Amino acid sequence: MSKWYIDKGDQGDIVLSTRIRLARNLDEFPFPAKLDIAGKNKVNELIKSVLFSNDGKDFSFIEMKDLSRIQAVSLAERHLISPEFAAKKDGSALVLSADESVGIMLCEEDHIRLQVMKAGLALEEAFDIADKLDSMLDAKLKYAFDERIGYLTQCPTNLGTAMRASVMLHLPALTRCGQMNRLANTVSKLGLTIRGAYGEGSQPKGDIYQISNQITLGITEETAIANLKSIVLQLVSQERAAAAEIIKNPVEEDKIFRALGVLKNARLLSTDEFMELISVVRLGAARGLIDIPIEKINELIVSMQPATISAGNADASNASARDVIRARTVREALQ
Amino acid sequence: MLCQNCGKNEATTHIKQIINGDMAESHLCSDCAAHLGYSDVFSGFGLNLSELFGGFLGDMMPSITSGKTQRCPKCGTSFDEIAHSGKVGCADCYRTFYDKLLPSIQRIHGKIKHSGKTVSAAPEQPKIETKEEKIEKLKAAMNDAVAKQDFENAAKIRDEIKALEGGENK
Repeated sequence: MSKWYIDKGDQGDIVLSTRIRLARNLDEFPFPAKLDIAGKNKVNELIKSVLFSNDGKDFSFIEMKDLSRIQAVSLAERHLISPEFAAKKDGSALVLSADESVGIMLCEEDHIRLQVMKAGLALEEAFDIADKLDSMLDAKLKYAFDERIGYLTQCPTNLGTAMRASVMLHLPALTRCGQMNRLANTVSKLGLTIRGAYGEGSQPKGDIYQISNQITLGITEETAIANLKSIVLQLVSQERAAAAEIIKNPVEEDKIFRALGVLKNARLLSTDEFMELISVVRLGAARGLIDIPIEKINELIVSMQPATISAGNADASNASARDVIRARTVREALQ
Repeated sequence: MLCQNCGKNEATTHIKQIINGDMAESHLCSDCAAHLGYSDVFSGFGLNLSELFGGFLGDMMPSITSGKTQRCPKCGTSFDEIAHSGKVGCADCYRTFYDKLLPSIQRIHGKIKHSGKTVSAAPEQPKIETKEEKIEKLKAAMNDAVAKQDFENAAKIRDEIKALEGGENK
């Protein structure tokens, strides 16, 4: 089955993907940090029994202890699990749909972290899927919930709806114009947060950012999603305007075609160099300067991350071997 | 632990991230964390939020704990432990320490009244028994049978226990 991330969705020139994540706990059991491995396994079995009792769902159940480190990190690179979860072993499990759009982390920070991914900007659709799955579980499980403060979570920052909605955006032009700090300040005042999607810090790799809601208590899911959506749409139009200005500059246009030239010909490509160049090329493709489908570029960004290369190639055990494979794959994809 | 960057101050910010496919952990003091662009740790799920929440609660901890420590009846966590780790132990902790937790919750979210999806009426939750619990139960039944001098049944149960325990070693 083809994976969700090779589609191009709504606002696909700027928006890579949308994610909805719900945190839930079972009332009967202490939160995962207070459970031993037998207790965690019991929680996982219970949730699994409910999930798999409903037919028609093509889920697979993966125990984290059965995955190699490379496989686990590759899942995190594809944003299917959190980096923290990739380090977990005994007592943690992952339920994954065949197209990888639905993932349920069991005994991460909370008993249940249900996540739905969609290509492009699709907050309502993703929430709808997550909401239905959540209701299905709710019908069979007694959730930890309080009328006053909502869904009870291990960390009080997630109380209330316990919903985190995120949108991944490619903002090369706004980054180039030095606008990101100002934007980060502005969105934080609106109860949202923006940060690098690949690697933290001031200069995110590939100019790819993740913007998400910060406040979860006292605001409904629908309102939180509507707020996020309206800010994302404003960012999208600002990015388009900035990009349109940038490509008028012959120096910037030259940069785009040079980047394409390197990607089409390089024999060695490190992750950092690849991310820098593909970001420039994606800008050109999104503005119609270069005739490469955006889906192809999106798929390369996901599949050319180090652990994902290693997971798919037995001979890619170290960085220099990966650089050879990365250069070859990118070359072939862009011919 | 001292900050890995300056080696002078106590490390208060702990960052886990994936660099080039490897899991890397850094321990930094707040100054270096801010300098290196990690100031925005209040983002996303998880990442350092627990430590920060611990800080939120820290300044309202009583300096002298008087008398007996109140503990959550279900998981045994005390309020001091929650304040220290930033992690709440279970759903009942929220009920036990509701009044103490509320000011911090308000500081984080600005509001203290949930609005949005609510749970359905308490459903019949399926029961799952771990192997240890099954064995425990069978052992009790076996002892019962022995007490009643029903040795045939006791032997049967003993074989069941053996089969369960055997499965563990395979």
